[in-house]
Amino acid sequence: MSRFVQHRWLVLLLASFAFLFSSCDDKTEQREKLIMVTSATFPPYEFYQGEHIVGIDADMVREIARRNNIDLIIEDMAFDSIIAAIQTGKADVAASGITVTEDRKKQIDFTTSYVKADQVIIVREDSTIDGADAMKGKRIGVQHGTTGDTYVTTNICEPERFQDGALAVASLATGKIDAVVLDSAPAKKHVERNVGLKILPVSLASEEYAMAIRKNRPELLKMINDTLTAMQADGTMDAITAKYQSKEAKEADKAKSKGFGEWLSHSFEVNFLKDDRWKYLMNGFWVTIEISFCAVLMGLIIGFLVAVIRSTHDQTGRHKILNFLCHIYLTVVRGTPVVVQLLIIYFVIFAAVDISKVLVAIVAFGINSGAYVAEIIRSGIMAVDRGQMEAGRSLGLSYGATMRSVILPQAFKNVLPALGNEFIVLLKETSVCGYIALQDLTKGGDIIRSQTYDAFLPLIAVALIYLIVVVCLSQLLKKLETRLKKNER
Amino acid sequence: MNADTNTILEIQNLVKDFAGHRVIDDVSFGVKKGEVVFLLGPSGAGKSTVMRCMNFLETPTAGKVLFHGQPVDCSEHGLNLYRRRVGMVFQHFNLFANLTILDNITLAPTSCGIMKRDEAEQLAMQLLRRIGLEDKAKAYPSQLSGGQKQRVAIVRALAMNPEVLLFDEPTSALDPEMVGEVENLIRELAQDGMTMLVVSHDIDFALELANRIIFLADGKLVADAPPAAMTTNENPRIRDFFSLR
Repeated sequence: MSRFVQHRWLVLLLASFAFLFSSCDDKTEQREKLIMVTSATFPPYEFYQGEHIVGIDADMVREIARRNNIDLIIEDMAFDSIIAAIQTGKADVAASGITVTEDRKKQIDFTTSYVKADQVIIVREDSTIDGADAMKGKRIGVQHGTTGDTYVTTNICEPERFQDGALAVASLATGKIDAVVLDSAPAKKHVERNVGLKILPVSLASEEYAMAIRKNRPELLKMINDTLTAMQADGTMDAITAKYQSKEAKEADKAKSKGFGEWLSHSFEVNFLKDDRWKYLMNGFWVTIEISFCAVLMGLIIGFLVAVIRSTHDQTGRHKILNFLCHIYLTVVRGTPVVVQLLIIYFVIFAAVDISKVLVAIVAFGINSGAYVAEIIRSGIMAVDRGQMEAGRSLGLSYGATMRSVILPQAFKNVLPALGNEFIVLLKETSVCGYIALQDLTKGGDIIRSQTYDAFLPLIAVALIYLIVVVCLSQLLKKLETRLKKNER
Repeated sequence: MNADTNTILEIQNLVKDFAGHRVIDDVSFGVKKGEVVFLLGPSGAGKSTVMRCMNFLETPTAGKVLFHGQPVDCSEHGLNLYRRRVGMVFQHFNLFANLTILDNITLAPTSCGIMKRDEAEQLAMQLLRRIGLEDKAKAYPSQLSGGQKQRVAIVRALAMNPEVLLFDEPTSALDPEMVGEVENLIRELAQDGMTMLVVSHDIDFALELANRIIFLADGKLVADAPPAAMTTNENPRIRDFFSLR
């Protein structure tokens, strides 16, 4: 697998920043713990089983750590972020079905490869597609940024890129696309668990997987390579691979011929009840709520400050420098996507700091929201009649006192609907937290999907939970609005 | 100007430009203690601008504003102290929309540290009783009629116990049937000896109440005289203005 094409620019950008920040970060060399990063939505190489990440890669690194008497910490993050995590020293080793390519060798060191993988084509059983040539002019699904993506894009046509393999296969099964190009091992799993699909007996591109570590760490490289060689020699490697290849997909024997009610109750059981999978949603829900709530508070504080500075400058000409800084803040934050801000804050600003990811997300979304809140409140301040400020000043109240007691309360009431809207947007924006390996609500749904290969129910469940939260939030805001409106009767 | 010790508020050679256009051109006059002075003149003469300059809601382009013979300290703090002594009533009332009538009156005295909360509330209720609106203490401005709002705005200014009250067209935004109640209150204040400067369009009210009338036209001071002298003034602009009566 080689999910890499799409965000290469971003990774390069972050890496070059990270180089500046991480030169002072030598302490990672002495760490007794080995931190492994992976993107645990890629069975059989890495996926969740209950709370734990398992799979060929995970077991392989566990064995390496065990044999060398090191503690192992496994962290899950978006595949796009893995190389950056290695380059910035946030992690020691990445094992995530990473394909060895020349481009990557320039940025990181690879261990000896331990798996050979092929790209294969999945089609519906009744399909007329019988090979690469027959795919021309068809709708082909790939996993975003993988080798399959690269292959199809350069050799066949522009594919439809999905965030993960399960979504691509789900689209194939429902007839939205005609074929899916995926790595062979996960492709087998997908076909096992979806009725009416088959893998064509041709392989498109062959490739090798290896683990990635940061450049200039020869002892670590040697240790891993030596252990891998030993594991190959004594058969451990084959045993690990065989263990996962033979794992039966018991859930797959659900037959599509069952009635809808039966299918739904079965699907519900598999997706939510089995292995306590509902806990992914439950825990993710609380993470989402925690991040959203704190970020809203932070955004409100920043927003109020910036709005007051900006309107004070507009009305009195004071605070020139502060106003300039606020202007830059607004331009930068509103001019860049929140995902990019989140990644920069995690990988660049806090590159050398060991900090809770939840805190990083709160800071990122708080800063982001602050910019929008600032402009919303500023518009509210400007909408308050000039006479209110003049009346306050004519009584001898200071600018600040008038602002506090008269202008801001009215401004706040004016913009409450717009603020409520911003909070709702923020709540939903936190769904990109998965990029820094935070298990929020959306990521919780992703994990379930990667285990059950079912796109429908987990997505509907995630959507429903967001919807319920938003409806509750709207009701709350409506109540607040009515209370504040009482002086307008 | 003669340095009269009774002069509370005085402007000297006041000039105000807006975007290169001169709206106030070298205007000087003073207001003595206990005096009621009306600023009259056709629309656009600069009456309101003069008044707003006196309270520094507009910054004068040139000229001086003297309070008890001393130039006003134009620092933020200095202005706050000055404005506590010089109350202002606006054409559009400008009651604080987010506060109750009671809080409108008590906000300034308590925030400025002049009075304690209960003291200020006692005073506010006393003032509200005087204008017959004590039952509106807990109401919000939007629940009051225009005349009631303006009377509250006047007692809000009075709560700071100012030495001078500036009225910027206090009855112009009112429905005709409400003008009387506001004018009555101003009349009462005049009888109590309050020093007042009033911008107005109401010639009859000015002639009845004013000790002096200052006539402005095109940003210039045309005349500064007692009411009786105004009605007999031969200046064509003044004659035309008073003939509108």
